Amino acid sequence: MVRIGLLGIAHLHFYSYASAVQRLPNAELVGLYDDDAARAEEAAKLFSTTFYKCPEELLKNADAVIICSENSFHRKWVELAAKHGKDILCEKPIATTVADAEAMIKACDAAGVRLQIAFPVRFSTPMRRVKAMLEQGALGELLAVRGTNRGRMPGGWFIDRELAGGGAVMDHTVHVVDVVRWFTGREVVSVYAEVDSMIHDIDIDDCGMLCMELEGGVPFTQDPSWSRPSSYHTWGDVTLQLVGTKGTISVDALAQSLTVYSNAEGKMVTHPFTEDMDLELIKDFVEMVETKRSPSITGFDGLQAMAVALAAYESAKQGKPVTLR
Amino acid sequence: MLKVGVIGCGTMGQLHSAIFKKLPGVELAAVADLDDQRRQEAADALGVKTYREGQELIADPSIDLVDIAVPTDGHAGLLDQAIKADKHVFCEKPVVRTNAECDLLEKLAIQTGKRIGVGHVVRFAPEYVAARDKVLAGDIGRAAVSRTFRGGSQFPKGWQDWYADYARSGGVILDLAIHDIDYLRWCFGDVARVYAKTTQGLTEERMEHAFIVLRFKNGVIAHVEAGWTNYPGQFYTTLEISGSRGQLTFDTRTTAPILYAKADADKQEVNVALPESPALISPYEAELADMVAAVRENRDPKVTLAEALATTRVALAALESAETGKVVNL
Repeated sequence: MVRIGLLGIAHLHFYSYASAVQRLPNAELVGLYDDDAARAEEAAKLFSTTFYKCPEELLKNADAVIICSENSFHRKWVELAAKHGKDILCEKPIATTVADAEAMIKACDAAGVRLQIAFPVRFSTPMRRVKAMLEQGALGELLAVRGTNRGRMPGGWFIDRELAGGGAVMDHTVHVVDVVRWFTGREVVSVYAEVDSMIHDIDIDDCGMLCMELEGGVPFTQDPSWSRPSSYHTWGDVTLQLVGTKGTISVDALAQSLTVYSNAEGKMVTHPFTEDMDLELIKDFVEMVETKRSPSITGFDGLQAMAVALAAYESAKQGKPVTLR
Repeated sequence: MLKVGVIGCGTMGQLHSAIFKKLPGVELAAVADLDDQRRQEAADALGVKTYREGQELIADPSIDLVDIAVPTDGHAGLLDQAIKADKHVFCEKPVVRTNAECDLLEKLAIQTGKRIGVGHVVRFAPEYVAARDKVLAGDIGRAAVSRTFRGGSQFPKGWQDWYADYARSGGVILDLAIHDIDYLRWCFGDVARVYAKTTQGLTEERMEHAFIVLRFKNGVIAHVEAGWTNYPGQFYTTLEISGSRGQLTFDTRTTAPILYAKADADKQEVNVALPESPALISPYEAELADMVAAVRENRDPKVTLAEALATTRVALAALESAETGKVVNL
């Protein structure tokens, strides 16, 4: 039985991660900690688990932790968990600066703990199917990639630069970049971005457009905008289109859904019948802890995806494409 | 009776000729084409006078309006001749191939008292017109991000395979993406800067895919995408505009009201894919009817030469960006 603790619950994904842990036969949710005691107590009640007043106490009673704190606190918690020799699943983005991400990777290596970054989209069944198609050569030679990961404006600490490290571009660039790196085995070599705040009345970027180049000169664009209005039928989207010499693949991770016209909602809504990618992510993480194998998504993967988002901000500031190291 | 001559009997020339043939108050007087067989076929089908050279058609004193529907690199020369011959002109898009030709046309335009229109047909397409109306009415608040797609079909086949010759056609950016660039300019005004990437040069296959990021002076960020493939596919277009109070979108794959599956589908050969949405008056007919009305009413056509040149300069900036890897400020 793998004993899992939640360190930081600021990111709402903690709900589905905690629920996934509780649904797995080989894992147990031993408790949670958050700097915000009121929020931690409430969550502990909801999951009928222990609220630890001290993170070290939680770490003593856990084999591994899931970190869902505000982005800029990821480093603090990863370093603490590493010090206690615990394996870690860290919510994306890995951090808010390259220095933090590198320090986290180094701390985990030095302590001999495994660090996995939570990119659940890699566990989407349609995405896994596309990965298999690509491995079978369905595209021929890859020529162009287009991604979107749009959403609603999340509010809260997500629009606090200190805590989130950025707005829509930081929030919604990393998933797509990670999947494209995973699909193609290619790194992003340059980023051009338009970034602005025009949709919501907030002081942080809420829309943008990234136009990148992958290794081998392949064009790749990504739209991270918080451009879904409250009247939209769902929270947002994750889509990719891959154009090759032998075919084009378009994939929509959320296409598997019912269209529901509900008078109670006052609008059309879509209800997903997709498999639960968060559950698959947690299953994979628990298996990693149990079998002591290497993580399927590494700290380096997290760093590479975050570096693209940071380069996008840099590009927008400079008004020209930025080359990644 | 307005007498019209159409230069070029390819996909667009044939389409324009057929429309002029049925427009009231218009007489299709002549067509021109360098290809003997195609010229003969047009003469048989339309029962009109034919010329080999566009220049001969332009010199025909009976013709009032010259329609230019030849490959892009031939536009500037014919426009020059037609304007100097004091004709009204309707020119297929893109109006010219190069910035130098844009400069030349700007000078010529000042000298003519005649009407010059350009075939940016998307401004007449009902789904695009409706979307713009909604945006201007404020239904989605302040526009912020827009996305367009155009493509999905095979690389077009034209006379002498001119589409495949970048120097002649400008590829998918100048020939296809220009539709959406023009539409977005119509919605959002002038473009401040352009960054673009294309697959041109990445493969020897007959295909090209391009992404263009536009930043408008009013702030709107746009993602313009266009593609031709080397395998069978359905031509479609999409539009999405997101704003501070809402979002609108359409995809012609789902707005098509008629789906027809037929037994000999794989035997179809399409030279240049043309979008089709059933309408009492097609966008192609509407743009030519507007041109004829402009001449008759002595007013500007809906898409003026100045507008078309401004659009073309943005598309050429995208080509330059794709080639140099740099942002092009306008």
